[in-house]
Amino acid sequence: MKFFINGQAITIATESANIIIALQHYLTPEQHQQSFAVALNGNFIGKTDYQHTDVNQGDSIDLLFPIQGG
Amino acid sequence: MKLSQELIIYGQPVQSRLLIGSALYPSPEIMKQAILASESKIVTLSLKRQNPAEQSGAKIWQYIQDIVKESQGFLLPNTAGCKTAKEAVTLAKMSREIFQTDWIKLEVIGDDYNLQPDPIELLTATEQLLNDGFKVLPYCTDDLVICQRLYDLGCQVIMPWASPIGTGKGLMNPYNLETIRLRLPNATLILDAGIGKPSDACLAMEMGYDGVLLNSAVALADNPVLMAKAFAQAVTAGEQGYIAGMMQQRQTAHPSTPTLETPFWHQQG
Repeated sequence: MKFFINGQAITIATESANIIIALQHYLTPEQHQQSFAVALNGNFIGKTDYQHTDVNQGDSIDLLFPIQGG
Repeated sequence: MKLSQELIIYGQPVQSRLLIGSALYPSPEIMKQAILASESKIVTLSLKRQNPAEQSGAKIWQYIQDIVKESQGFLLPNTAGCKTAKEAVTLAKMSREIFQTDWIKLEVIGDDYNLQPDPIELLTATEQLLNDGFKVLPYCTDDLVICQRLYDLGCQVIMPWASPIGTGKGLMNPYNLETIRLRLPNATLILDAGIGKPSDACLAMEMGYDGVLLNSAVALADNPVLMAKAFAQAVTAGEQGYIAGMMQQRQTAHPSTPTLETPFWHQQG
């Protein structure tokens, strides 16, 4: 299955995954400790829903981090 | 209109009327010094994609957390870069989870050239976010009707622009801004964007605005820390000038010095 995180294509051997598994293919355990929030196909997914949210073929995940802003 | 004793954001008293952004500074350390020098209690920030392997974003976030802790202030996340209500609502929800605040500076841009807010999408996003429990601080143009609609939806705070973001052109339409103040006496009005110099901030406060939000004017100054102090003083000066009550303009000159018993007075006749 292929999906995208922040525009980067990620291919995994299984046909399905949840958000937690998907993020494990993008973040190191150390990076996982950073503050971030997730949207799947443009919809916000709260941390408590990672376990129960499926990622499917072609899905797009946005992983956003705090930055400076005006 | 009577200015409240302190800035009130959805019932939360805030000890400074100057809100400040965290972007564009020459370095994180100068950012910290400038924000602390501004005495602002509200710092804006954002969310973006970034390579998690780069530690710069995490460091900036740590700096901002330190600033807010030291100043006993508040975070105000924005939805910069969003062009639709759906994008803005999603980003607001992501911000709420990370920053643990239901305050959101709502930006929905309708034009890439001057970064002018899209009023239709802005109203749509505002309504959805208010219904979801957010305390929305919408960034809008100086259009009275849009401000009125935002207020009618339930926005207690409205943030019309002075001029397009980052231009430093100051108050393009003072008449519009004064009209908004006059017609929405109970709204908390914060002038946002386009401020270039301390006198711009002072002028807004002299109009009776409740606060001023800026970033570039401080961050891009030759000396951001000194400019931050200047803005703090300008906001206070404008606020006190407004409270003190300014004299009415007059069409003709009136001598300041009493003329009675003036020596060498030229008697008529």
